[in-house]
Amino acid sequence: MGIKPLLTKDFATENLKQLAVYEKTGGYTGFKKALEMQPDALVDLVKASGLRGRGGAGFPTGNKWSFLPKGMYPRYLVCNADESEPGCFKDRYLMENSPHQVLEGILIASYAIGCNLAFIYIRGEYLPQTEALEAAIDEARQAGYLGKNVLGKGYDLDVILHRGAGAYICGEETAMLTSLEGYRGEPRLKPPFPAVKGLYGKPTVVNNVETVCNLPHIVLNGADWFKAIGTPTGSGTRLWCMSGHVNRPGNYEMENGTPIRELIEEHGGGVWKNRKLKAFQPGGASMMVLLPEHLDVGLDFDAIAKAGSLAGAGAMVVMDETTCMVDAARRYVKFFEHESCGKCTPCREGTYWMANIFDRFEGGEAKVGDIDLLLDIGYNIDGRSFCPLGDASTWFPRSVIKFFRDEFQEHISEKGCPFKKSVQEAVA
Amino acid sequence: MATVQTDQVTLTVNGQSVTVPKGTLILDAAKKVGIDIPIFCSHPKMAPVAVCRMCLVEVEKMPKLQPACAVYVAEGMVVKTTTEQVNKYQKGVLEFLLINHPLDCPICDKGGECPLQDQTYQYGPGASRYQFDKAHFDKSVPLSDKIVLDRERCILCWRCTRFSEEISGERELALIQRGVHTIIGTFNDEPAQSAYQGNWTEICPVGALTSRQYRFISRPWDLDRTPSVCPGCSMGCNIQIDARNNKIGRFQSRENVAVDDSWLCDFGRYSFPNFQRQSQERPRIRRGGRLEDVSYDEAIAFTVDGLKRAGGQAAGWASPADTNEELLLFRRLFRDVLRSPHLDHRSATVVDAEPGDMTLSIADIERLEHVVLLGGQEVIDAAPVLHLRLFKSQRKGVTVLKVGAGQVAEAVAGVSPDCTAVGILATEANKAAAVDLQTKLQRKIKGSVRRLIVTTGPNGRGAKDLGILPHLGPGYVALNGQAGTGRTEWPGAGLRALYVHESSPLHGFTPTDAESMWLPTVPLLVFHRFKPSPLDEMAHVILPGHAFTEKDGTVTNMEGRVQRIRKGIDAAWVREDWLVFQEIANQLGASWSYESVGQITSDLVRGLPPYMAVNQEARVLWSERP
Amino acid sequence: MPLAKPTVTQIQELAARYPSKQSAIIPALWAVQHEQGYVTDAAMSEIAQHLGLPPSLIEATASFYSMFLTRPEGRHDVVICVNAPCMLRGADEMAAYLERQLGVRDGATTSDGAITWHSTIECLGACGGAPMMQVDHRFEENLTPERIDAIIERLRTDPLPGPPHKGEGVEAPTPNKGEDVAQPKKPARPRARKN
Repeated sequence: MGIKPLLTKDFATENLKQLAVYEKTGGYTGFKKALEMQPDALVDLVKASGLRGRGGAGFPTGNKWSFLPKGMYPRYLVCNADESEPGCFKDRYLMENSPHQVLEGILIASYAIGCNLAFIYIRGEYLPQTEALEAAIDEARQAGYLGKNVLGKGYDLDVILHRGAGAYICGEETAMLTSLEGYRGEPRLKPPFPAVKGLYGKPTVVNNVETVCNLPHIVLNGADWFKAIGTPTGSGTRLWCMSGHVNRPGNYEMENGTPIRELIEEHGGGVWKNRKLKAFQPGGASMMVLLPEHLDVGLDFDAIAKAGSLAGAGAMVVMDETTCMVDAARRYVKFFEHESCGKCTPCREGTYWMANIFDRFEGGEAKVGDIDLLLDIGYNIDGRSFCPLGDASTWFPRSVIKFFRDEFQEHISEKGCPFKKSVQEAVA
Repeated sequence: MATVQTDQVTLTVNGQSVTVPKGTLILDAAKKVGIDIPIFCSHPKMAPVAVCRMCLVEVEKMPKLQPACAVYVAEGMVVKTTTEQVNKYQKGVLEFLLINHPLDCPICDKGGECPLQDQTYQYGPGASRYQFDKAHFDKSVPLSDKIVLDRERCILCWRCTRFSEEISGERELALIQRGVHTIIGTFNDEPAQSAYQGNWTEICPVGALTSRQYRFISRPWDLDRTPSVCPGCSMGCNIQIDARNNKIGRFQSRENVAVDDSWLCDFGRYSFPNFQRQSQERPRIRRGGRLEDVSYDEAIAFTVDGLKRAGGQAAGWASPADTNEELLLFRRLFRDVLRSPHLDHRSATVVDAEPGDMTLSIADIERLEHVVLLGGQEVIDAAPVLHLRLFKSQRKGVTVLKVGAGQVAEAVAGVSPDCTAVGILATEANKAAAVDLQTKLQRKIKGSVRRLIVTTGPNGRGAKDLGILPHLGPGYVALNGQAGTGRTEWPGAGLRALYVHESSPLHGFTPTDAESMWLPTVPLLVFHRFKPSPLDEMAHVILPGHAFTEKDGTVTNMEGRVQRIRKGIDAAWVREDWLVFQEIANQLGASWSYESVGQITSDLVRGLPPYMAVNQEARVLWSERP
Repeated sequence: MPLAKPTVTQIQELAARYPSKQSAIIPALWAVQHEQGYVTDAAMSEIAQHLGLPPSLIEATASFYSMFLTRPEGRHDVVICVNAPCMLRGADEMAAYLERQLGVRDGATTSDGAITWHSTIECLGACGGAPMMQVDHRFEENLTPERIDAIIERLRTDPLPGPPHKGEGVEAPTPNKGEDVAQPKKPARPRARKN
């Protein structure tokens, strides 16, 4: 347990972005090995490795691949690089440091599922990362890793790098496909699932950047090796994006199951300014808040879920004792209001209404009934909206009301934010 | 012997068991046992989208509430639509929908027939807890010359934008912006061009899209609603005439899956002002060069006098908007009583009509493999709702080939020899080319080739069927030497009287240049019509008649379907047109004794058995194998 | 202003690249914004023409994404994140400092036309370096008042428009200097703002 650089092990190597350097670190040997295997054997290997999707839901990657209906072609692979969850910046880190590792993962996944045209959907804000990937794709094409008859093995593959334009919802896989088809990034009804009817109505797999980055290592070292890392239900490592009130924010690749305490206190250097920890939030903006009593929970999908939150996309937002939890919730709610696609009523109108109420709290105009009203609005959104964006907009604020109801009361009784002053001091 | 029906599933809704075909939505299964689930976005003609979230219900074994409009039934499914959870949520979602809705029902044209209003009463919360500003937009923005848009009222159900994409295929209306800022609109707010905009107002579940013509005209509960048929063209779309104080307020669609599939075109829908009566007119006759008001009896006597003198030299023109019953009497008046063969309903000479012109039905277009639109847009312009049927067919996989009327060779080349079912659509003007194409295709392909000729006027087909033609009798029988002259031959044919009967300004007798020269020389010009027109200037007798919207009877659409039209407006001071024909005939020596339109219909069926179809509003089939 | 020939060529190539030409809408909008600095109705019409799609579809898509600008902006754009992870590390204070130093309100352009700035609630993906801002699409992290001063100085004295909004050598369009965000041309819901 602890820090375990697997995907990031060579990140200190200079010019790792360049193909020649990447190859020197062992790059593309995983892909070459994969090309010697039968695609079905690759799918079985990934299944056996226990690799779970790193995008947030933690769905077993090999299973996702095996849902593709037999004999239906063309098939598409879409690599989800639309990292937009507040608190998350791991895919960006992976793409800018080792774009070829991302590409190699995409190549392996494409070959395994029998796809000849793959897409990378990257968020519009990630311009340097787009440029890094673009350069990597060009290099790979020149070197014969991409194009017709890849490495002389009779397999054709091309990759299109598609840049988004500012819409968090496009991280939701069906919305991503809709967006890739040129439409407004609105999620689609499921079923049919993308595996059956995805991009352009064809069988499609959507895999996250970090997920595919694991593939070269799994192919090279085998399923057993990978399974030995992490927990029984959470093989491997994850990149944790630590931010907020810690001394050393940043990305940390941790073996799954490592206690949260180690991440925050040891690697993050603990809470800054010698302050006390008030709360932390794993997973990103969507996820429920956890308390100091949860510090010994392991960094793992199942363990965090058991503790009452979700590991999501691997964020770790740390909040010290001076944090106004109402304001933190307000920011997230306003974020969801901004990012709601507007397709369904509960999310469109509910996030807007919640945002208005949160503004009222910070503005000192909240009323006694507003806390319960927020809970009730949350009840009418969660589980009722079209896609998980609406649901997720309610999780953090409701968990904050659950644990920090007093702070909401104080905002009402003191007609404003009791923390404003201390936050200003904190930055001064 | 009991067999397992694998294509049926049985489920329970609120404890009631219901068996429906696989692929049925929960919403429809519930409806089958009389359980209504409230909806806004769902529409039977469009694919489910589940965006409004009004229809969420409990389904056992599913953790979340499920959209009844988008989830298909499964064997053994247990659906509950009235649980505490559902009821509480329904209040919640309506509260959401109303936070940005102005609730200006008292000044909204939709009020009284508004799903949002109705469902708020039935399922909604008593009061809103929303205490912030509502969305503000400019009120009543003209979206086109036909439609006003009120974005404050819009609940973003997507029905109109889906119509634009799935039903008309024009993709003119779109969602713009996102989230709570989403609005509907056209590109750059340019005026909408669609020929089907009126449908947007009907499918809009709120008062966001309303008709400019109907603006502040009436409350729905003040409307008298009469089922009838659209007077716009030969499509025969079913309508409802909505009138208030005996004045038409609007035409609304009335679903007939075989004909209109529940849609109307704007030309037909917004044509009703043409049928608005301006004043109470009396019959007039010309004496000493001036028209003077007289009684019906005097005017009829005057007419009879003139017709008697004209005898076989009297010509009759009945409009393709007359009912079959009127046309029957009109024909008998000329052929049997006056012994005149000079009958017509057309405006120009066109190639002979024949039963083969309607071997293809409108609904069957969807079941073809290939359809040739000979004349392209011209055909659509003649019957705009055909486009919706064609687009629907296209979405189902039918290949639609649009070619110019002269491009028969291209059309033949465009159909592959192994095609099993081909259809040809063309206007009357291009009938010859259509027949030519059909012959050639029949030689080329192994399957069937059928054609449908778009006739003119809501009853052009009936006029042909009933023999309002100079050279054909009822049922397209040849006249064996008894043929008369047709309209284009009348100037210079030495006629001594002309009787013009029309019921619709849309399909009236508009004189050509030659006719304008000739008409003043006709010794007797009887103009029996609904609305004043320039022809009045030349007429010797003006007999006020009923408009298409003011009478009962039957009309036959382009495919031969006989449908009833009904009196939506009561113009009681106008003598029934058929009664006038009967009185004229009787004064000329006949002894007709019809007491109602129904008796004429019966007679019509007796004389022309294929018109038995009228009893089912079905298509007239002229032979076993058309 | 009609699209430049290289942009049109690019749009046509994009249309051919994807299995469906509709997929080229977003890349085409990027190409247009790169050339002209923002996306006009006329440009959307042109895209529609080149892709053979109804213009409503282009506007529906363009207006959905927050990065397509509908009006001219300054030579450089500065976006400061105020979402929770940044807020925790003083983003509000940095935004206030930026506003004071630039002398124009959130969403406006400085009077010299150099900088358009706005705050955003959309996380930009640099929480580890909070507070942060995005300057001409490059991240500037661990902001302090001194760093902000230096960045502003650099931008004010840089006469060329910053990539990637404006094509190199293309003259930047005249922004609404010192003015607040123009009202969106479509009436919007209350408190509507595209950023």
